[in-house]
Amino acid sequence: MTATSAPARPRPAAARPSAAWPAWRLLRLELRRSPMPWTFPLLAALFAFDPYRTAMGYPAVWTIRASVLPNKLLPDFVVFVVAIAAWAGSRDGRRRTLDLVEITPRPRWAGQLAAWAATTIWAIAAFLAGTAVLYAVTATQATWGGPPWWPVIVSCAELAALAALGFTAGALWPGRFTAPLAAVATFLLSLEGFRNAVGRSSAYAVLSPTTYVPGNDAGVFYRYPPDVAIDQLMFLAGLAVVALGVLGLARSSGAGAGLRRGAAVAAAAGLAAAATAVGLAGTARQALPGTGRPPSATSPLGMQAAWVIPALHDAASDRPLPYIPVCQTVAAVPVCIHPAFRVFLPDVTAALGPVLREIAGLPGAPARAGQAASGSLVPRSGQVLVDWTPEGEISGTPPVFSYTADQVPARSFGESRRAFVTGLQAALVAAFVPAGVGQPATGAPAVPGRRTVPAVAARVAMQEALLMAAGVPLGTQRYQGLIQVQLPRAAQAQADAAAQRFAALPAATRHAWLARHLAALRAGQLTLARLP
Amino acid sequence: MNIETAGLARRFGSTQAVAGVDLATGPGVFGLLGPNGAGKTTLLRMMATVIPPSSGSLRLLGRDPGRYGPRREIRRRLGYLPQNLGYYPSFTVAEFIEYFALLKEMPSARVPGAVAAAVEQVGLGERARTKLRTLSGGMLRRVGIAQAIVNDPELLLLDEPTAGLDPEQRVSFRAMLRDLGQRATVVVSTHLVEDVGAACTEVALMHQGKIVFRGTPAELTARGVDGGAGDAPLERGYTAVLAEARS
Amino acid sequence: MTTTGLRAPAPGGPAAPAAPSLRWPALRMTSLFLASRRVPAALAALALLGLVMRAALYWHWNLGSTGSAAQAVPLLIEAGAGAVIAVSTYSPFGEPERATGRWLPWLRLGTAVALTAAALGALAAGAAAAGLAWGTLGLLRNVAGLAGLGLLTAAVTGGLLAWIGPLGYLMVAEIGLTAGWGTPLLWPGRPPANMPGALCAGLVFAAGIAVTTVRGARDSPSE
Repeated sequence: MTATSAPARPRPAAARPSAAWPAWRLLRLELRRSPMPWTFPLLAALFAFDPYRTAMGYPAVWTIRASVLPNKLLPDFVVFVVAIAAWAGSRDGRRRTLDLVEITPRPRWAGQLAAWAATTIWAIAAFLAGTAVLYAVTATQATWGGPPWWPVIVSCAELAALAALGFTAGALWPGRFTAPLAAVATFLLSLEGFRNAVGRSSAYAVLSPTTYVPGNDAGVFYRYPPDVAIDQLMFLAGLAVVALGVLGLARSSGAGAGLRRGAAVAAAAGLAAAATAVGLAGTARQALPGTGRPPSATSPLGMQAAWVIPALHDAASDRPLPYIPVCQTVAAVPVCIHPAFRVFLPDVTAALGPVLREIAGLPGAPARAGQAASGSLVPRSGQVLVDWTPEGEISGTPPVFSYTADQVPARSFGESRRAFVTGLQAALVAAFVPAGVGQPATGAPAVPGRRTVPAVAARVAMQEALLMAAGVPLGTQRYQGLIQVQLPRAAQAQADAAAQRFAALPAATRHAWLARHLAALRAGQLTLARLP
Repeated sequence: MNIETAGLARRFGSTQAVAGVDLATGPGVFGLLGPNGAGKTTLLRMMATVIPPSSGSLRLLGRDPGRYGPRREIRRRLGYLPQNLGYYPSFTVAEFIEYFALLKEMPSARVPGAVAAAVEQVGLGERARTKLRTLSGGMLRRVGIAQAIVNDPELLLLDEPTAGLDPEQRVSFRAMLRDLGQRATVVVSTHLVEDVGAACTEVALMHQGKIVFRGTPAELTARGVDGGAGDAPLERGYTAVLAEARS
Repeated sequence: MTTTGLRAPAPGGPAAPAAPSLRWPALRMTSLFLASRRVPAALAALALLGLVMRAALYWHWNLGSTGSAAQAVPLLIEAGAGAVIAVSTYSPFGEPERATGRWLPWLRLGTAVALTAAALGALAAGAAAAGLAWGTLGLLRNVAGLAGLGLLTAAVTGGLLAWIGPLGYLMVAEIGLTAGWGTPLLWPGRPPANMPGALCAGLVFAAGIAVTTVRGARDSPSE
């Protein structure tokens, strides 16, 4: 029916504005028509080839598997989220609908927020889908603990913030180059800018979820420290609010004076939140697990240790989490491991067994081996260090050999089982017969003084001999960078020869000699000439 | 009076697009004629509150559009179809109209019914769920008309509304204008004098930013009796007035 | 009077004065074509990317100093250049432009080649004496390949969305670099002198240039 045959209609009562802002209807429209879902096939392929494949190569420990979320899944998404958001933001400029949307009573800002929200919701939905797959598979494999949620929350916040930045760029500069340049710039900043900060050991690196990686056993021995995650959340939320507030302040936002004031307040609040987060990041420091206290100047911790932000620190995260270790006896010594790393127990016992048999019954030989939290061991002279943290120590009465989760081949790309086994063996040997050289804080190999070279060489030779007796070829420690003592070339050659001679002796002879001379060897009273 | 202007002018750099327009009109269909560059679109854009005037006064629906609050009230009661209609290709017909109904702050409960009525009124009922990118130019124009009328506006501004419509649709459209003009002020800017003759109760002719004629279509026709080029009486009146304005 | 307002000349009256002839019509046509493709803005964007390359190499914005880690950031910038070249193929005119004479394919060809050369120049200048991992040869191969990919994408998605190709390839290549994939289809992971990788990149570039020349970017009815 057309208007020709219809009688004149009486005008209905003057339209009153909707009492409840139909945000949901606007959002629903934008969700249905967002271009973000078109990227899902590519994102799914990236997920399968990058974060999922990487995670499946990690042990089934929740925090280790979850590390791929901010470290791999998020960077894979960043480029497309920012580009699509910029594309969505530039829609009115590209489609020449500015005249139409700018004269509506509802400010254009409202429509823009709906469009941004739709892009963000789809991006987060895709991210959560990937997370769900990863967590579901891990749930069937993990032997202890539960999924950490802070990496998920922070990653979602980063997606929202980046989408806001991209959307605002597209809305303010609706040109053809905005989407790709915004994507490149954001990817560069989020990844490389903070990596640069990491390279300079700057605490500001903790602001980026992509570059800050918690330790291997974060959330295993102690509660997952939320300090950095809270700071990151504050920073990202601040960025998002600033970007969206700037949109509201733009001339074309259609906002009146009141709404502009609100946008200005929001932008200022976002800026304050981001600045506060940056300031808090500046106070971040590394801490010994379980204590919240900083390490000493001579025992710096690697980047994988816990970062603490005093203003945000919760003492509850310093309390150890209870657990019942899983143990297996080898050479009459119980070798124990945290149940979260249970899958590695056979490898650990296979590594420690030959060395424990070699040193069984000798003074200082461990009566037990157990896993300790990363960074909880204090470096001593000549210890095997990885990322400046000691990999093992023998302490207590009766002596207990403690090794850390850094031994677990989690994030060492391509680290083989053999390297893992050898590293653990080297840690035990170095703890049993320390080389006795002061360890520089820089992590560079320690160089003994001229007068101590003969005694150090003897101890290094004994370390090599014990390893050879356990089946490790000569020089493997040096090849893998495990030995942290650098002897003069001639002394090293003599030490190698002495090690080969000692290793060639019958086991009983070796054991008897060590029983008589171990104390003197450790005290630095023996030289290479005194070794059989 | 729904539209009142006094000395309304708009300048773009060195170009005086509208050079002082005095106008007062109430309900009815008001036609705006003129050659290219006469200032019709600029005048319409000022009335649509897209751009502010450079000088002069403008009151719409008894309110001053220069202030935010009254402007917002005007926009709730306004429908505007620009000369170059932009749209979102991935939206369907219904979604596009619904989007603008929501932005026009229509009561939420009324939106679905209003969208359906608007779609029917422009004869696109069977294509309500069709994506805009698949529509012809004429159909897109009808979608544009639909988004302009969805909120049953008191002030309807249409710039070249019949561009791309076939004759049958143009006839329907003129009938719709007459119906709307019974309770609203409809301003139609067009080159097609037959649209003006068939639908408009009053017509103004613009030339170089000024109104050079104002009256009924019959009065415009009468001006062409004594000479004026054209194939139809109204056309002759149009050309006669223009010739006089140019001399 | 016609509907356009033009007046037909009175019979027997003086002929309208001849309009002055256009000097250098080819140059004028080319400059208008370049303006329609926003080539000046594209050149500015490429120059900016060259500066970013300079900054990245000078301040060592890299995941590492050797191997694949050293290529991540330069590859990102090269992909940005490829995206800029791809997006420049968008025509605001649509069908009316296609229904013209014979010059359009040559204009498209010239613009694509010139922008690729400009991208190479800008990025090479930025990387000059700054220790780019694969050197200028690698830069040439990567930029050509990414530009070709962008041009091919433009033929499918239209010019405005053609950035999807280079940026999508960037993500796959970054994964491949980390994982050490050896396929020549991921030419950024191959040494610059590696023939299969160079051949792949070259073929993609040639295909992109050919498609752009013959068809140009896809016109969407709405654009």
